Amino acid sequence: MTDDTTPMTDGGTDEEARTDGGPPATVPPDDETPTWTERKEQSSGLAQLTYQYFERSRREDEDLRAESTYVERDVLGFPAWPHETIRNLAITSFFVGIMILVAALMPAHFGEPANPGSTPAIILPDWYLYWSFGLLKLNPINPSLEVLGGNIAISNEFLGIIAHGIVFGVITLVPFLNKGSARRPVEQPFWAAVGVTGVILSFTLAALAIQNFFPISLDLLLTLTFMLPVAGGIITYAVLKTMREGYMYDLNRRYYMLRPPK
Amino acid sequence: MSLKKQDEMDHNAWLKEQDLTVIETAFLTTLIWLDKRLRIVDYLELLETMYYRANLQMPKSHTEQYDLDNKFWYWYPLYSLGSLSIIAYLVAAVSGALLGFYYAPSTAGAAAQGDPTAAYDSLVMIMTDVQFGYMLRSIHRWAAQFMVAAVFLHMLRVYFTGSYKEPREVNWILGIVLIGLTLLFGFSGYVLPWKQLSFWAAQIGVEMALATPIVGEWAAQLLFGGFTLGQATLVRMYILHVFVLPFVVTGLIALHVGIVWVQGIAEPH
Repeated sequence: MTDDTTPMTDGGTDEEARTDGGPPATVPPDDETPTWTERKEQSSGLAQLTYQYFERSRREDEDLRAESTYVERDVLGFPAWPHETIRNLAITSFFVGIMILVAALMPAHFGEPANPGSTPAIILPDWYLYWSFGLLKLNPINPSLEVLGGNIAISNEFLGIIAHGIVFGVITLVPFLNKGSARRPVEQPFWAAVGVTGVILSFTLAALAIQNFFPISLDLLLTLTFMLPVAGGIITYAVLKTMREGYMYDLNRRYYMLRPPK
Repeated sequence: MSLKKQDEMDHNAWLKEQDLTVIETAFLTTLIWLDKRLRIVDYLELLETMYYRANLQMPKSHTEQYDLDNKFWYWYPLYSLGSLSIIAYLVAAVSGALLGFYYAPSTAGAAAQGDPTAAYDSLVMIMTDVQFGYMLRSIHRWAAQFMVAAVFLHMLRVYFTGSYKEPREVNWILGIVLIGLTLLFGFSGYVLPWKQLSFWAAQIGVEMALATPIVGEWAAQLLFGGFTLGQATLVRMYILHVFVLPFVVTGLIALHVGIVWVQGIAEPH
């Protein structure tokens, strides 16, 4: 088998067979290791007889397996036991440990008891609802929805609720608008830019919610709330578009042969 | 010669046609006798396995397979965020169950406006009198913060790696529902201590509900037990936080993970 005409392979550098980075080399290639048959041919006497018998015996087993209804399948995957289990245990203990450490270092504080009679100067939800609270403070842009009579068409609170509906609606629609097989931001600069816009918008809305803490005027803050995300989106788009030209070329060449973009 | 099909595995017939010497016959007979009983052939496979182990080649890692190793560590540190959410959820569930032994969802006991209520007092009791109570409340609160943070970051990872794409739309929508429920979980928990910030956060919730046309008043009564805050609000939030949401969220998380299991993980490349 290891004569000069047969090229030695390392299991994945054959350019003909290669599709998306080569087949996974899970086992050493068969043509490099002598089988029992080949070793049998190299030996003589009792050793040869032993090999012959074992060959037959193995074949007998294989035939029996072929006759049986039991289905053998090749499974290529990360073993659940022990690899995955130990990895998950390690991750779990690490994160639980971090949580307990943080809880010990920064214990929860406690405020005044509820008093319906006095509104505090600053009302705030937890940090994860700042963006939502910011959406409720959009009343300065409500007059732009004014009808001719001079009344605002919808109440400020309802405007905030509509804004929530729009946010959740847009997020829900994403998988129905963006199809195809692209999986990286560089493959789709537009959608990455949309994502970055959304992330920055959530931060600027949070800043709007805690505007009391910002020493800048409300007008400027409102402008920044909507301009910064757009600017961030444009920059992201430009950067990714530039990166794609050079960085993605090699990968695309093989990858799109396999899965053409829709 | 007979027309009968030969039994290929007739070891005795095979031995006869070999024309062996006495030594060979004795050896093979012994070998076959032993192999029938001890399955020596199986140990050959073990030997074979050991041979491959000694010449071990690891499977190609994902980054190697897609030729990414020279580019970037490519997203992998972000891959445990989904399980981090679940871990934080479990920690919050355990610590919350323990807190539930001491908490009283009641606004009773406030003689004048601004006096501590029974709910507030029970939290003061947990933090000052109960052994490990301060730590328990801190762990519960921080587990909630970790869960919300992990859920947000998990959503960003799924968005930027395009993992929500075509066969996985249902799981994306389920994820959005889960984010909403996580926020509601956090909000209802925020109200329970019945401190100033809790009360006024709930007040904003009521006002938002009342501003919604058609369903607003119904929603305010369902969620907050009326249009003004009081005992009914606290009980609604308590039942939501410790009875309704745990079952709903646990079920939806199981469904969410189950769909990932069925569809397989959307790997980046």
